[in-house]
Amino acid sequence: MSKPADLVQGTLDLLLLKIVALEPLHAWAISQRLKQVSGEILQVSDGSLYPALHKLEQDGWIKGEWKVTENGRRAKFYSLTRPGRRALEREAANWERLAGAISQVVRLNEV
Amino acid sequence: MPDSRWFRQIILRFRTLFQRRRVERELEEEFQFHIEQRIELEIARGLSPEEARSVALRAMDGVERRKEECRDTRRVNYVDDLVRDLRYAGRNLRRSPGFAALAVLIMALGIGANTAVFSVVNAVLLKPLSYRNPDRIVTLSDFSKTREAATTLSKQVSIPDFQDWQKQSSAFEAMAYYASRETAVMQGATAEYARVASVSAEFFRVFAIEPAAGRFFTAEERKPGSGGAVMISYAYWQSHFGGNLHALGQTVRVYGSRSIVGVLPPGFGFPDRTDLWIPKISEAKPEPRTGQNYLAIARLKHGVSLEQAQAEMTLIARRLEQQYPESNKGLSVAVMRMRDEMVGDVRVMLYLLLGAVSLVLLIACANTAILLLGRATARIREVAVRAALGASRQRIVRQLVTEGLLLAFIAGALGLLLAYWGSKALVALAPADLPRLAETGIDRWVLAFTFGISMITSLLFGLVPALYASRADLNDALKQGATRLVSGAGMVHMRGVLVVMEIALAMVLVSSAGLLIKSFVALQNVALGFRPENVLVMRATVPAPSAVGIARARQFFKDMLSQIDALPGVVAAGATMAPPGYVDSTGAYLIDQLPAQPDWTHAPNVVLSIVAPGTFAALGIPLKSGRDFSDSDTSDRPFVAVVNESVVRNSFPNQNPLGRTIFCPFDSLKGMTIIGVVGDVRQRGPAREPMPECYMPYEQHAFNGSTLSVVVRTVGDPHALAATVRRLARERSPDVPMKFTTMEALLSENVSAPRFRTLLFAVFAGLAVCLAMAGVYGVMAYAVSQRFNEIGLRIALGATTGSVLRLVLKEGLALACLGLALGLAAAAAGTRLLASMLFRVRPNDPVVYLAVAVLLGIVALVASYVPARRASKIDPLAAIRQE
Repeated sequence: MSKPADLVQGTLDLLLLKIVALEPLHAWAISQRLKQVSGEILQVSDGSLYPALHKLEQDGWIKGEWKVTENGRRAKFYSLTRPGRRALEREAANWERLAGAISQVVRLNEV
Repeated sequence: MPDSRWFRQIILRFRTLFQRRRVERELEEEFQFHIEQRIELEIARGLSPEEARSVALRAMDGVERRKEECRDTRRVNYVDDLVRDLRYAGRNLRRSPGFAALAVLIMALGIGANTAVFSVVNAVLLKPLSYRNPDRIVTLSDFSKTREAATTLSKQVSIPDFQDWQKQSSAFEAMAYYASRETAVMQGATAEYARVASVSAEFFRVFAIEPAAGRFFTAEERKPGSGGAVMISYAYWQSHFGGNLHALGQTVRVYGSRSIVGVLPPGFGFPDRTDLWIPKISEAKPEPRTGQNYLAIARLKHGVSLEQAQAEMTLIARRLEQQYPESNKGLSVAVMRMRDEMVGDVRVMLYLLLGAVSLVLLIACANTAILLLGRATARIREVAVRAALGASRQRIVRQLVTEGLLLAFIAGALGLLLAYWGSKALVALAPADLPRLAETGIDRWVLAFTFGISMITSLLFGLVPALYASRADLNDALKQGATRLVSGAGMVHMRGVLVVMEIALAMVLVSSAGLLIKSFVALQNVALGFRPENVLVMRATVPAPSAVGIARARQFFKDMLSQIDALPGVVAAGATMAPPGYVDSTGAYLIDQLPAQPDWTHAPNVVLSIVAPGTFAALGIPLKSGRDFSDSDTSDRPFVAVVNESVVRNSFPNQNPLGRTIFCPFDSLKGMTIIGVVGDVRQRGPAREPMPECYMPYEQHAFNGSTLSVVVRTVGDPHALAATVRRLARERSPDVPMKFTTMEALLSENVSAPRFRTLLFAVFAGLAVCLAMAGVYGVMAYAVSQRFNEIGLRIALGATTGSVLRLVLKEGLALACLGLALGLAAAAAGTRLLASMLFRVRPNDPVVYLAVAVLLGIVALVASYVPARRASKIDPLAAIRQE
């Protein structure tokens, strides 16, 4: 099980942006969704989730709105803002490049 | 869109600041929701509710810590800190009201004085004129390339020149010329003085204004022989017609009977608060090119710069020079922004005043810094405790600076109040001819200025003590806790530096004031060439629309003068076009011969005056030779003139001028026989040298014979005569408006600018001396209290009262001398700026500097004496026991 501390610096933001980009979700659902789509490999601890989300919100990449959940409870739903979408595209492209480069290095044949 | 992101951020910061509770509630709710979800999940996995709750909380890894982390992302902590610091500072100031009141008072004086002076500078120099696109309105003035501008009238232009400019230039949207004077206006049955401007066709287009009611002049109304139209100012409309539209079409008598066709918009009164505007009639006979009697203005076309316009006009002027060498040789045109042209002379004076008053502010800052240093010493323990509890140095400095800031803002608010009254006093004292003075007030620029200087001063006086206090050694402070710790050499040294600076600045201010005062005294004592005391002046205008009128005017003045002569208490009576202090006309003159093609441009210049017999006696101008005019010098007799000694010096060296002929192109070119010589008079006020002058009898000249100032020398108070003279004039001609004043009052108007700046400098210097005195006292009192033990010991060992006194006084004097030396150097450099305002005093006048140095030295001694006295009274037993 990978802990958030093991995530490459900055990747948590990318993951959160991406999850929120799919559909507006509240924080709990975001953590569940992350676990689920990553096949339980990626997880963010309950504790680190909120400061990260609030930072993204304060930076203007995502916005929070209070809505009612399916069970009739009030919860804060996060969704991507327009600048957030561009930031996501940028970060995703960066990630692809970085990941590609790393796997290339890793796959080098040893003599 | 990055701005939308910033916008979102700003909204969030605002919510954090102003909807704190709601933001907190939402944070709480969000966490609560999460924990409940986790509990539900864990229960579903088979844990008991208690276990589920503890797992949920553990997963959060410290709910409060996480919340704090979320709060930190909001990044408005510094505002929180500021609010906390402000509260703390407020409590602190309340705890020592005496200190707070003193510091606030000192700073409020400094800030108030600065704000008041700035409000005048703002109104006169900085505010844009209240016309549309004021930067495009320019003045066009003639100036002589060869002769230095000899007369005040040299900016004026002639109509033929103006018409050529208009034909040949392309830089302007509209161009106009005008002439204005105060003259008689009859509305209904009352005659009064009003300012009337005669304006050319495009005048109102230069300002891009529309009438508030009615219309502008038509082309018909500019033709010779038209019925006559007049436009009135909004203020005149309100005061004379109650703002009623019936005013349109009503008749006003000014240069003939005219009907009102329009009202100008509120606030418009160009030039010089004009009440009525009349169309300049385009004469069939062209005016001479030498008739430079008009002022010209224009509006720059959009996109045309001042420099381009100037280049074009210079070119045109050069062309006219070649075309009309006899009238235009050496003449060029200056294009200036109207505002710059208006404030030309007063700019230097106002900026100097602002500079002087900012020195006062600096001294006030130094004083407050000394006060705060004292406080910082007293509070060293408190600061040390805070530092020990983990406050960073930066945080402590910030807290102390905030305290300074709070002080400065309270002082700023009080200063604004002082400035409100101060600026009223300034407006009342200022010379009446200061342009746009009436616009002085507290506007947003003045507010911004006050706010700005409050900020700056709080840093100036707050930072030094703050840095000192925060640098105190923690351990020492906590261990000993006494006030003596930071006392060390550093603190005394710092105060010494501040007080030396104060004395140096005071030296600069006081010596400037000294120079101005000495120069003002010289101005008062200058030989004017006439005796201004006990002279009543009555300006009167006989409405004279035609040739019939001038005869009536002559008769009026003749009758008035003979009646006044007969009054008891009258020594002599006369009448003149321009009483000394004002020049109405100047012109060239030739002697003996009038050639067929006179070369007026190279002829010498004289002031031209129309006077009645008796004027020289009434004004006390000595007759050097020959005779005064008499009642028999009428228009059917040979033309005569009286010249002053300057004319004789220039044109008749070692010759007898009596009986020679002088030619002046005034209203006729008839030769005038010189019948008398009088002494020189300073025609342009006491500060300027006399000019050559040619006097002509009023009965031989028609020009402007309708407006004269009757001058009456009386035995006693001239005011006492005014009522009688007014009654005589009213009985004779009820339609003649009159204005009474005295020669002394006119003279004082003439020196109102030097008086204004001298008075202000003196006030600022007085403030500076008081503040410096307080500063020296504060520092010396502190030094004595620091050396309490040492002095006690000295007394115990046999030091006499005298020797202790000397010890302390010597120290005070040493500070003063250092300050005076520095100040002397600064003053020697700084007062050079005053040079243009000094009269018969050099900026490096040694007497003034010596007197000021002695004065300040005495002030420092007096301020040190009280602490010295106290030191000499120290009880040696008490001092030693304390140790």
